[in-house]
Amino acid sequence: MWKKAQPPLGDFEQLVLMGVLRLGDAAYGAAIRQEIHARSGRDVSISAVYTTLDRLEGKGFLSSWIGAPTAERGGRRRKFYTLRPAGTAALQQAYRAITAMAAGFEARLETE
Amino acid sequence: MSASSSNRTPPDATQSSSTLPGLVVWLLSRRLSGAWREVVLGDLAEEHAARAAVAPASARRWLVWQTIRCLAAPPPDRRPAAVPSLPEEKHPMLQTLAADLRYAIRVLRRTPSFTLAVVAVLALGIGATTAIFSIVNAVLLRPLPYDGADRLVRLFHIPPQSTFPGVRQFPLSPANFYDWQRQATGFEAMAMYRGRSFTLTGSGAPRAIVAAVVGAGFFDVLRVQPAQGRLFRPDEDAPGSKVVVISDAFWRTQMGGTNAIGRSLTLDGEGYTIIGVMPAAASLASWFPMARDLWVPLGLNAEGRAVRENHNLQVVARLTPGVRIEEARSQLEVVARRLEQTYPEANAGWGATLVSLQDDVVGDIGSTLVMLLAAVGLVLLIACANVGNLLFTRALGRRKEVAIRAALGAGRRRVLQQLLVESVVLGVAGGVTGLLLAQGGLRAGAALLADQVPRADEIAIDGTVLLFVLGASIVTGILAGVVPALRIGGTPLTEALKEGGRGDGAIGLRTRRLLVIGEVALSVVLLMGAAVMVRSLIAIQSIDGGFQPEGVLTMLVNLPETRYRTDAQRSQFFAEALSRMRSLPGVTAAAAIDNVPLTGGSVQPIVLEGKPELLPRDQPAVQVRTSTRDYAKVMQIPIVRGRDFADSDVDAVLVSRNAARLLWGDEDPVGKRITLPLVSRMQLRTVVGVVGDVKQADLRQQPQPTVYTYSRERSSRGLILVLRTSVPPLSVVSAATGVIRGLDPEQPVQGVRSMVDVRDNGLTSERFRALLLGSFAIVALALASVGIYSVLSYIVRGRSREIGIRAALGAQTSDVLRLIVREGMTPALIGIAVGAVAAVAASVGLERLVYGVSASDPLTLAAVAGTLALVALLASVVPAWRASRIAPLTTLRG
Repeated sequence: MWKKAQPPLGDFEQLVLMGVLRLGDAAYGAAIRQEIHARSGRDVSISAVYTTLDRLEGKGFLSSWIGAPTAERGGRRRKFYTLRPAGTAALQQAYRAITAMAAGFEARLETE
Repeated sequence: MSASSSNRTPPDATQSSSTLPGLVVWLLSRRLSGAWREVVLGDLAEEHAARAAVAPASARRWLVWQTIRCLAAPPPDRRPAAVPSLPEEKHPMLQTLAADLRYAIRVLRRTPSFTLAVVAVLALGIGATTAIFSIVNAVLLRPLPYDGADRLVRLFHIPPQSTFPGVRQFPLSPANFYDWQRQATGFEAMAMYRGRSFTLTGSGAPRAIVAAVVGAGFFDVLRVQPAQGRLFRPDEDAPGSKVVVISDAFWRTQMGGTNAIGRSLTLDGEGYTIIGVMPAAASLASWFPMARDLWVPLGLNAEGRAVRENHNLQVVARLTPGVRIEEARSQLEVVARRLEQTYPEANAGWGATLVSLQDDVVGDIGSTLVMLLAAVGLVLLIACANVGNLLFTRALGRRKEVAIRAALGAGRRRVLQQLLVESVVLGVAGGVTGLLLAQGGLRAGAALLADQVPRADEIAIDGTVLLFVLGASIVTGILAGVVPALRIGGTPLTEALKEGGRGDGAIGLRTRRLLVIGEVALSVVLLMGAAVMVRSLIAIQSIDGGFQPEGVLTMLVNLPETRYRTDAQRSQFFAEALSRMRSLPGVTAAAAIDNVPLTGGSVQPIVLEGKPELLPRDQPAVQVRTSTRDYAKVMQIPIVRGRDFADSDVDAVLVSRNAARLLWGDEDPVGKRITLPLVSRMQLRTVVGVVGDVKQADLRQQPQPTVYTYSRERSSRGLILVLRTSVPPLSVVSAATGVIRGLDPEQPVQGVRSMVDVRDNGLTSERFRALLLGSFAIVALALASVGIYSVLSYIVRGRSREIGIRAALGAQTSDVLRLIVREGMTPALIGIAVGAVAAVAASVGLERLVYGVSASDPLTLAAVAGTLALVALLASVVPAWRASRIAPLTTLRG
């Protein structure tokens, strides 16, 4: 599992990791899904989010734990995720890559 | 991973107070693996609740979309599989089947247009077959909705054949019924019933209702129980008992579904107490007494029970368990013979018979349905041949793939299995689509079916039909796939690889020509069947019934006894109504009669003045109609001698030409006098005229001798008003019913129909057969032409090099055209020849169903053959034209 050369993050993997980063302690599937929807406009399926979270956990980028049951979910429990150092590093790398490539063209890229 | 404080998952965590619909929870619980179930369901519940609070509709759409995505691609189960897979040797067949299934679906998805074409053809075939099977299932296979329905029978007299030629079933008289009930063994119970029309008043517009009048024990024979209240007690089968049982439908629509027991209905001006409500399940739309909204007791008095000569009661009975119909019939025959001896003056010549209630309800539609099922089976076979053809083309293109699989160690059986699995998958897909088609078709045709088929209301897709579809799909898939699979699966490896995909033209061509021959032959059989049915229908419709149905409107007016008590009142009503109708614009003549032609009516013995009345068996009988003046004018029945009725006539009669010949031979009947003993032995009636013969019962039968009676002093309660119109008959309906309303606002008008409608109503089986066989034939024709076309296109493709060379060597366009058209027409013509022979053989089964044309009529057969040849030619022209455009260089280079 701990291979030296991790393949670069996929586009959706980046969005999911960013979501975990932004949500801090409250990063669970539905919240991440809504965060991605609200910010990027991509209305993805909950199963796609969990599939990706699961894959990222398998790569060692995330760790997870199960929360307490809540009434609003019909007594069901949440599964929370948090970034591990490897995940933070991967996200940094992706971010660096995109900002480096965009350098000097921010004005053009930010207009629609 | 660390667990939280609450280590125990509540066992019903997924079911408890969530806002998710049960179906979503159920589906996802099955699809999601254990670790994900709770988490994903919880997330969905949470977000759905939040969204629903804002916009419920869009929240629902969102949930559906999310559910579908989760079902399609759930998060993976990451726990390592404990057991890699099942031991290979244990279920090799199942294992390979599953693998083949997956492979087949993948392969078919890669070629969507091919798959769609095949599924469409199969869906058409299976759909049509399923629709017909559903009808057969409901009408013939499913028992009637009564406990022990197989033991229910109807009992009839067989009337004296000299008086009622050809009539095999006749109602009973009360006295004979009671004797049968006492004397015949082998029956658990018997009961009488008949219809009676009432006018229902007191709740809105007056309404004419035909109720069933039932004798004691009627409901016990059927073993029905009331849904509410009770049914009739034995002591209520007595004169003057004003109690009524209502149907579930009547209770819901007329009584608003509120408590009805003990309330009163006003029928013909008299109060009837509602004592019970019949359950909906006991209603049977196709059997008169149980298709009613109201039931009242028969209540004959002692005098009525003793009547032996008037046969007007139907009888239903239940056989004792273990007694066969034949035994019961011979029992009845013994009783009838005994009664003939005991009461010769009334019963001489009156036999007895019985028929199972199921057969009675289904009637002669059985043979039609079996014929249609056979016909639709042919359509399915044609579809199979067609799909076989398509599969062939495709399989040829995959010979290399198959050869490589074989080279990698797949045995012949294994390859066959895989090809067959593919065609069965196609069959099942076609079956599912066909099922939807069948359901849609049955729903769309429900109104049509209701007129044509008994028990049509019971037609539905049930378990039996589903099983049938499954079987039909699998068999179809195998049938369509087996020939190509055998042919391709058996190709030796080296040959397949060597040919390199060229020169396919020669491979399997013989088989494919055979398929085309089969398709065309089957189409000839179907087309022939349809053609003779249509010709038969036209032949019947154009039979001269002795009257002119076009331009005549009919409507029934039933005057309630309670408000029109005397003959004078009734006479007055009809005379006034007719005189007002005669002055309506567009109406050229108006009259009234008790039964219009083709609908049957009263048959009575007739006695000539001065001759003794004989035993019923020996007494001549005639159709007896009661009509007003101008009836002959409205129906355009010629008056051959004498005159029509006049308003001043008392006890006058008109006789039909064949009645005159039967009764008086060559003598002039005008001025002769007769009596109708069933009406009155005292009343002498004078013949005033002779009119043309009219077919009173059925267009296909000879016209029966008829006597029309008229009396200003005596009038029936119910008469059918007939209007001859100079405009389309239905355009005067509102004016004509307005006349009746103007005379009596409480008087309902029933059965407003054109006379053409009345005629066509008697031809429902013919129209049904012609319509369905016609549509099957069109489908068959389309499928056959597609088959010819696809084979020819394939041949052209395979022989394009040859054609190119021919063209290079100087062949003209016309030469190439001829070459390809001959290629297409040869199997078509052979198919037509084979089909013609088969059609003549099949015509034996159809002969009973056609009229006025032979089922193997050579002229029709020639026309059918010509049509198919033409279609085959058209199907050949396009590929031939394409072949003639082949540029020599392109093909030679390729």
